[in-house]
Amino acid sequence: MKRLQENRIDQITQYLQASKLDPELLPEILDHLACEAEESLWDGKSFEQIYQNMVNTADAQTLLNLSVDHQNLLAMEKSLNDIVFENRNKSYGAYDLRKGYGQTVQRAVVMGVAFFLLLVMFPQLYAKLIPDPKPDDIAYIVEATPVDIIMEEQPVPPAREEPDPVQKTVKSVTPEVLPDNEVPIEELPPVVDDLQNAQPSTETVDGVDNLEVIAPPVENAVAPKAEAAGVEKRKEETFTFVEQSPQYAGGNEAMAAFLRKNLKYPSQASRAGIQGKVFVQFTVGSDGKIENAAAVKGIGFGCDEEAVRVVKMMKDWMPGKQAGVPVRVRFTLPIAFQLD
Amino acid sequence: MENNTTSNEYVRGTLKTIVLNLLAEHDRMYGYEITQEVKDRTGGAIALTFGALYPVLHKLEQEGLLLTESVEVDGRLRKYYSLTHRGNETARTKTNDLERFIEAVRLLLAPKNLATE
Repeated sequence: MKRLQENRIDQITQYLQASKLDPELLPEILDHLACEAEESLWDGKSFEQIYQNMVNTADAQTLLNLSVDHQNLLAMEKSLNDIVFENRNKSYGAYDLRKGYGQTVQRAVVMGVAFFLLLVMFPQLYAKLIPDPKPDDIAYIVEATPVDIIMEEQPVPPAREEPDPVQKTVKSVTPEVLPDNEVPIEELPPVVDDLQNAQPSTETVDGVDNLEVIAPPVENAVAPKAEAAGVEKRKEETFTFVEQSPQYAGGNEAMAAFLRKNLKYPSQASRAGIQGKVFVQFTVGSDGKIENAAAVKGIGFGCDEEAVRVVKMMKDWMPGKQAGVPVRVRFTLPIAFQLD
Repeated sequence: MENNTTSNEYVRGTLKTIVLNLLAEHDRMYGYEITQEVKDRTGGAIALTFGALYPVLHKLEQEGLLLTESVEVDGRLRKYYSLTHRGNETARTKTNDLERFIEAVRLLLAPKNLATE
């Protein structure tokens, strides 16, 4: 097997380059031609002869056709641009712009539509992505961790309830006057000795003997019942007859003098010659005040009115007494009118 | 020469199928090997010129029917071609298509030949 020398191969390469063979094809064509040449060498031809043959078969026109054919085959569809720019400067820039025009327009349309849609739908999109907070939405959640609260146990000593010191009392109830069959026997009045160190009360309490405190009388101490039993119920009544009648302060003489001094004989009565007694009834209160003075039986001619007037003028009386207690007493006082 | 150009005319249409079919029979081939193979098998009746062969090879490669690998041999790059999976299928269908076409052409040509004889 004979091989081509390096310089021979270079010679072929230079020839192919000079005839402007497509660089993509060049290595293959070179290999092809070299193979042919080697075969020819094998047949005993000289390289010069072979080279001449080669140049004859693969002349410039053939190689150019090959390049064009190759390009045409690869570029299946030849666009208008390729025809327009055939044999023109394609590296200038206009060709690239034209070639990429369709793609550019397509991209521009897509982008423009997308942008426009985005612009139009922005409010809806915004509303969808960021919904308005509803009133019952939870703004935030705080996770509550259970906290154990341990009561500090302070043993409270049970307070010993000491009753307040109570005044020593002895049961001492005023005896009520009752029919014999109803009288309870057990309630006997306290002995004096008992009361020496104690206060009277409804109950007998074994309190402190002599409290330093000057205690007010025990709450349930016996209210002093002034009147004797049986009589007290008629206290507010107006008596007609009492044990001790009310008296004018100073006695009957003083009253007579007061009457003589103050009574004026009414002129009507004197002219008519009227004389007699006027009975004036009034009430002497337990405090001695004269109330409700009125003529019960009169003689007329102004004498009644005069009598009542003078009676009302009278100072306080000494109230009438029943069982030593002053009471209201109705009293009738006769006042005599006598002409001289 | 004239015979050669007319054969070239027919070869143009069937070259793809011839190349695919040859490659289907071999693992890998390079351009000159293909031309030699064609020449040997047809007894020189069909001579592939490099001007016709290489553009077709490149075209098939572009279509994804051929794989190429370049190997440096004797100080120059040699490009070997082999069929892809898709290339194999294409070779089969194209060969079948060509055979049917040849049959049809023969049917077309036979009566005429008979008439002239």
